[in-house]
Amino acid sequence: MRLTSFHVRAIAFLTLGAALAAAAAPKVHAEAQAEVKMERIKPEREKYETVRFLKQNRDFVRRRFDLLREKPVGASGDAGAIDPRYLEYSKMLAAVLADRDSVTRAAEARDRLTLLASITELGQLETQLDQMDRLLAAQRGRLGILQNDFTGRQQTALVVVASGWPAGTTVDSITIALEDGSHTTVTLTDAQRASLRDGGVLQLFHGFVEPRVQAFELTLAGSRWAAPAPAWVTLDPARDRITFLKLDLSTVAQGGAADMSARTWIHDESLPPGDS
Amino acid sequence: MNRATHAARRGRGTWRLAAGIAVSLVLLAAPLAAKDHAAFAARSGVELAREAAVAWAADAVLVYVENDESVDGSGSAVRWGYLFHSPSLEKSRAYSVRDGKIVTAENLEMRFEAPALADGWIDSGAALAAVEKEAGKTLAKTPGLRLSTMLLMRGPFQDGDPDRTAWTLIYTVPEQPALFVLVDAVDGKVRRSWRG
Repeated sequence: MRLTSFHVRAIAFLTLGAALAAAAAPKVHAEAQAEVKMERIKPEREKYETVRFLKQNRDFVRRRFDLLREKPVGASGDAGAIDPRYLEYSKMLAAVLADRDSVTRAAEARDRLTLLASITELGQLETQLDQMDRLLAAQRGRLGILQNDFTGRQQTALVVVASGWPAGTTVDSITIALEDGSHTTVTLTDAQRASLRDGGVLQLFHGFVEPRVQAFELTLAGSRWAAPAPAWVTLDPARDRITFLKLDLSTVAQGGAADMSARTWIHDESLPPGDS
Repeated sequence: MNRATHAARRGRGTWRLAAGIAVSLVLLAAPLAAKDHAAFAARSGVELAREAAVAWAADAVLVYVENDESVDGSGSAVRWGYLFHSPSLEKSRAYSVRDGKIVTAENLEMRFEAPALADGWIDSGAALAAVEKEAGKTLAKTPGLRLSTMLLMRGPFQDGDPDRTAWTLIYTVPEQPALFVLVDAVDGKVRRSWRG
């Protein structure tokens, strides 16, 4: 069939309409889960050279540092670095006390105002109210600083949970090792085993992790495996979010950790519209 | 001219056209490949690296910054390395950042108890601009001079005032000792230069 200019315009119109309808459709807010691969061999990633000059000149740089290092003199005087925010807090506290004095003085002056009736003194009252407004604004600012310091700091975290129970074998412990060398071993209690058998979910790890692609090493120990073989799962924990990894133990057999299946998702903790 | 000759010429023409298209595609692809990774100033990658570092050790402090790829004329590089030290672990860990992602994280296999960098250090672009302003004409007269390394640390190169955080710019010159230029990372002033 030959396309005329009418056909072309009609197709363009319909395409535009479909695009607008898709954009206007309500977005479904869901936590997308993805299956992750359990690998028997540690996955290799491209390695990039970093801080090259420092490594190549390590002896020279260390010699220079050694020249700067103070010699121990026997007297003790250890001091840790003080977080500059804490120094600011003392200043903020002093400001709060000063503001309280100002408020007290203003309150006393306001009490005296009941005895005075001149227009000039009413003007002073207005000035004092303005001052109180300013003090309240300053206090709001200080509270904002505290809020930013203690509630606004979200960090990249990983939660690893396990569910299911293998038929015909017993898992005694599960070890999770991070690439930075740290590791966590969870020894399962009878109650936890029973819970897993009954369909419960067990938290194995909850901690901060580096926001980058990395392989987590998982090892199961139990009566079935004399020398437990580890398995690796590669994740890219999203920055400032909580990434979940769920391990399914029900498929575990002779192969150990590599027999597990695993799923991952990012916990969406944003407030629904209207609650923010 | 017979039909066979015409066909041969048409064949050659087709090959030339295909070759021309291939060359054009290669020429177009080359600048795209260079743009695959965007250059950025040193400060832009610090927060990501710091976040990773505190996940590794809560007391980790930034002690060293170095370009991991070549620095351009505005003090930017495609990849920067950030080294953190943890007093509690007595270890140092480096993070290499590119395109807003950590592409490498590794423990430094050497003892490196460097002091923490001071807050508010000037960015790599400002440090390079300070050197250009102070000694740009002199540097331009040196044939083959090339900025190879920018590193930020506190201590080793600042003889007079080792407590200051400073940028050290290292220029290589063919068949000559490298030229070091020290820029105070707090006030942005060029402190000294030497060959070594």
